[in-house]
Amino acid sequence: MTQEKEKDEDWDLVLTPKNKMLWLDIKEIVQYKDLLFLLIRRDFVSVYKQTILGPLWFVFQPIVSTIMYMFVFGSIAKMGTDGIPQPLFYFTGNMLWTFFSNTLTKCQDTFNANAGLFGKVYFPRFTMPISYTVNSFFTFLIQFAFLIIFYMFYLVSGTAVTPTWWIFLTPVLILQTALLGMGIGILISALTTKYRDLRQLVSFGLGIFMYVTPVVYPLSNVPAQWAPFFYLNPMTPVFEMFRYAFLGKGMHNIWMWSASLVATLLIFWLGVVTFNHNEKTFIDVI
Amino acid sequence: MDTVVRVEHLNKEYRLGVIGNGSLYRDIQSWMAKLRHKEDPWTQIGADSRVGRKGRFLALDDVSFEVGRGERLGIMGRNGAGKSTLLKILSQITAPTGGCIKIRGKVASLLEVGTGFHPELTGRENVYLNGAILGMHKAEIDKKFDEIVAFSEISGEFIDTPVKRYSSGMFVRLAFAVAAHLESDILIADEVLAVGDTRFQDKSLGAMKNASENQGRTILFVSHQMGAIKQLCQKGILLEHGRLIDSGPMNDIAMKYQKLLEGA
Repeated sequence: MTQEKEKDEDWDLVLTPKNKMLWLDIKEIVQYKDLLFLLIRRDFVSVYKQTILGPLWFVFQPIVSTIMYMFVFGSIAKMGTDGIPQPLFYFTGNMLWTFFSNTLTKCQDTFNANAGLFGKVYFPRFTMPISYTVNSFFTFLIQFAFLIIFYMFYLVSGTAVTPTWWIFLTPVLILQTALLGMGIGILISALTTKYRDLRQLVSFGLGIFMYVTPVVYPLSNVPAQWAPFFYLNPMTPVFEMFRYAFLGKGMHNIWMWSASLVATLLIFWLGVVTFNHNEKTFIDVI
Repeated sequence: MDTVVRVEHLNKEYRLGVIGNGSLYRDIQSWMAKLRHKEDPWTQIGADSRVGRKGRFLALDDVSFEVGRGERLGIMGRNGAGKSTLLKILSQITAPTGGCIKIRGKVASLLEVGTGFHPELTGRENVYLNGAILGMHKAEIDKKFDEIVAFSEISGEFIDTPVKRYSSGMFVRLAFAVAAHLESDILIADEVLAVGDTRFQDKSLGAMKNASENQGRTILFVSHQMGAIKQLCQKGILLEHGRLIDSGPMNDIAMKYQKLLEGA
């Protein structure tokens, strides 16, 4: 038995200078699934430990934002909402955007925030961005549940909001938002270990990105000559279709959406490759 | 004997000073210069870009050795000899720049006690989190939980208190207790025993030795504490300036190290 083992040299682990992986080691991540659950729990619980409102914070923030949007964009700037009731329009936009930007912001800090941990123990590094994304997804779910209650109220009271069959595509839209946020996030996380300047750009860039995405205004408000630029943004179809699914107004072009899905997957893949490349060397750089 | 760790011609090169130029703008300038076959505007004065080897530093230089199943290997060397770099490569924290390491079995590495402990979480929650970070499954921790708490000598009422309220001794004992209950084929440990009082250190060393003798666990141990390393390890290697200068029975290596320290 022992001799056989010596002969065929079946090593469990071979460490060489370059481990170039072009995709995720799903098997390894599954092995560490218990860690993943604990990380998710840790981040979720530690957010509201020693706070008075506790989990209520998760709905308090979007409600205040919605009211502010109604005031600033609705009353002062008088931007239209395609006839959708303002609270629904802004809450939906804010909820989706928060999900996207939270995921991106947390993921882009993966290496910097965990340098101490990553420098001392090995575990699949990709568990971190996954746990961040799942966490922002939970926040999203709580807000989404709140939106549904809100939405039911409007439906029953007979306001002009009409859900469409596209509602069944929502899970795909949510997944797309998560993948895009995560993809851009991990791409930046890998680059910021070397180029710290990118970190400064993230919050600034996200602010700009929000205004070029139809978050607080519908795409139909965009002048026709600028619309093609909006189609280049993979987040545009997500917001428009999400609103179309629930509220009955918005762009719903299957081809444009397919293109944005391809772009999302491409960005995510690029993020994974850069992340993998970085995870073995970043500790010498940071 | 069955070899479980084989290190072959291992190299680790670090670049001294700044890595890259620190900002994207400067890196682009360097890159543009290279494209146009001009001199890199950001070359450090005195450094010749054609040599390319200047400003580089070999933390590990052609290190090769083998460890058999159930062996306890002590790694000695002065500060900066490359011990920690070696352990970091063995623990998959950083990649080597040359050579390779082949490993058979599950590795657990303990480069620091309490890695990933979160101050807001209770002792119980941290045992689970830390265990999982070290590669344990939840079921495994469930099974060993009582044993871990007993080993740490933390009384029942404290285990559900956030660890930020622990004394540093309690913190370290709990953290080490988790590590001591890892079920791995190979354990890599760096100076972890420099914490806790002497009695707890002896107990921890005893636990490590037991696991090696009874379960055939292989241990790679780095320490500056002569007593601890001699008590635990049978074999040793001595590193100096990134090179492996000697290997053999632990007592001989410890003696050579002593001589090295005395500046002979």
